[in-house]
Amino acid sequence: MGLEIVNDVRTDYVCDLVRNGKREDGRGFREYRNISVERDIIKRAEGSARVKIGDTDVLVGVKVEPGTPFPDTPDKGVIITNAELVPLASPKFESGPPNENSIQLARVVDRGIRGSEAIDLDKLCIEEGEKVWMVFIDIHVLDDNGNMVDAAALGAIASLLNLRIPNERYGLTGENTLPMRDTPVAVTAVEIEGNILVDPSFDEGNAAASSVTVISNADGTLSGMQKSGSGGLKEAQIAEMVDIGIEKAGEIRKKYL
Amino acid sequence: MYQVVVPGDFLSEETKRAGEGTYVEEGKVYASQYGIVNVRGEIKVVPLSGKYMPSNGDVVIGRITEISSPFWIVDLASPYEARLHVSALSGIAREQIEFGNMSEYLDVDDLVVVKVMDVNMLMKIELALQEDVELRRGGRLVEIPHTKVPRVIGRSGSMIKMLKEKCNCFIFVAKNGRIWIRGKRDDMALASTVILKIARESHTSGLTDRVAEFLDSFRREKERELRG
Amino acid sequence: MKEEIELIKDGKRLDGRGFDELRPIKIEVGVLKRADGSCYLELGDNKVIAAVYGPREMHPRHAQDAKMAVVKFRYNMAPFSTDDRKRPGPDRRSIEISKVCREAFDPVIMRELYPKTGIEVYVELLQSDAGTRTAGINAASIALADAGIPMKDLVSSIAVGKINGEMVLDLNAAEDNNGEADMPIAMIARTNTITALQMDGRITKEEFERGLKLAMGACHQIYELQRAALIMRYNQNYESKSKREEE
Repeated sequence: MGLEIVNDVRTDYVCDLVRNGKREDGRGFREYRNISVERDIIKRAEGSARVKIGDTDVLVGVKVEPGTPFPDTPDKGVIITNAELVPLASPKFESGPPNENSIQLARVVDRGIRGSEAIDLDKLCIEEGEKVWMVFIDIHVLDDNGNMVDAAALGAIASLLNLRIPNERYGLTGENTLPMRDTPVAVTAVEIEGNILVDPSFDEGNAAASSVTVISNADGTLSGMQKSGSGGLKEAQIAEMVDIGIEKAGEIRKKYL
Repeated sequence: MYQVVVPGDFLSEETKRAGEGTYVEEGKVYASQYGIVNVRGEIKVVPLSGKYMPSNGDVVIGRITEISSPFWIVDLASPYEARLHVSALSGIAREQIEFGNMSEYLDVDDLVVVKVMDVNMLMKIELALQEDVELRRGGRLVEIPHTKVPRVIGRSGSMIKMLKEKCNCFIFVAKNGRIWIRGKRDDMALASTVILKIARESHTSGLTDRVAEFLDSFRREKERELRG
Repeated sequence: MKEEIELIKDGKRLDGRGFDELRPIKIEVGVLKRADGSCYLELGDNKVIAAVYGPREMHPRHAQDAKMAVVKFRYNMAPFSTDDRKRPGPDRRSIEISKVCREAFDPVIMRELYPKTGIEVYVELLQSDAGTRTAGINAASIALADAGIPMKDLVSSIAVGKINGEMVLDLNAAEDNNGEADMPIAMIARTNTITALQMDGRITKEEFERGLKLAMGACHQIYELQRAALIMRYNQNYESKSKREEE
């Protein structure tokens, strides 16, 4: 992997602003950019949502198909999360097999959903040991302008709310919806010049040495965390990011889910 | 004297004396290398391992890896390649070296003694031929980590002097850990063995005496064999 | 809901450990001849070898960085390292772990000293029993030092987890498979700076804070073991101990 291409001039600009308590777009350190969530926009998917955070644009489609369960969980459905950083989304993205960034993105989103047990996998069993519903969550990043994780995670949850189970298509009978048991929300913050900023813009993401994504549930418990980037963080900084994560997740959950 | 430190070990508060193998953070000097700390004069850590980094004036043994007119590309057992311009040989060439026949003078895999003339910002290393040392046929090359070279030379050259005498060989120790030996076959084998032994035990004390004893007992063994 | 398997009996874990006890650790420095630096490490039943090559010429040329060394980290599990044979080659989990491990060392490796070169770290899991990435990071720290790579500090790593409602240190495989959460971290002991952190599972904020403190404390213990292994490797050949006492 090569280093991310960082434009030093923009990094200096961002750092300078932060030192003076400001951000490029005038937001407060704990403020998100404008969020929009559009649900059920892909008819052929069993669930879908398009999330925009600022100019970052992510489309998530969920497909549900019958498949064979894993041998050690014969009566449970399977969730498979994948992310594509398609070339049209950024001059940095190349076509080809998933790279470490898209893999990390998918696995972090997956971790949040799995940890919260938001989907009752028992309800996805069709025939124990033989057939279960496979839930494919496919994240398609359309425009990378910073903080793809939060947009992708929000899109995944929005897609899963009122997920349609295509019983008819496969000649099966069963519940046609699968209500979610929880609504995990991912909140990513970065550290710049000793300050914690939530929802990093593209330049802020590049200027920051580290980012932490905190995924929390409706009751304030945590169902996933991931530190990413080349910097180091102090215990107190991480604690602050956890607090912000839980607080912001509550706000986002209330407004958009 | 032989205190081993690891990266991050606190060494001193005298930041003005911070030297190689250390870094300064918030008014304190820390080790940045796994090595032996030396606080006389500069505070430095001599690494126990690591790659040779060329610096101006070093005399080293290089190996030609490529001919890329008008340069020979030379491997110095370093992360960086070096180059020797064709004009460097003009002193000893019988005629003007044409780009086409550079390989007649120095071919790929040939060893050459060179001096580092310049290491620039882009890590491009320029070399000059070191004419007073010739690597004539019939010798052999021993490679040791460059960090062990001072031990092979010894304080005021005491170790290398003893090796040359007791092994009866011509030995040239280059800064990049490459050592050229020339002598009778058995003598060269002995010299190689001893040099590798010194490199392995370089961090121990009493080494010079142990090496002398090793060489003497080897001689005694040989003489006993000859006498039958 | 998941059945709760009893992992704690009479205040002790199934392998007899207390909640804040590490598994036994064994460290050997410089075990490979060809690599520039290496380390063999055992953490409980985990067996890992870390090797470092570099700094050396970086290929392909276009991936070089004119100002500093490029670090590559490859975490890999041998096919025979797990109960169910693992197919050879990188999978998504290994790729993510490789990234997290590489980033754990970014704050300490002084890359600017070797522009245009590559430094490669290879971690091979020979036998796995949960906590493999933490064992890998601990071994890689030592291998990097052994290779003479200049660093600001060593990096130490351990995981905490939640089993039967309790936060415990250094989960083994049985605990990881049946537990409620797993949180590996990596840290610079000298400055208490965290360079890697992941959490998988479900915990409260308070459990997180408690777990983090537990893990940070354990990293200090591990740091002492790492340091001792590096120092002892040369000290054991010293003939006169009194010379050191003279300093």
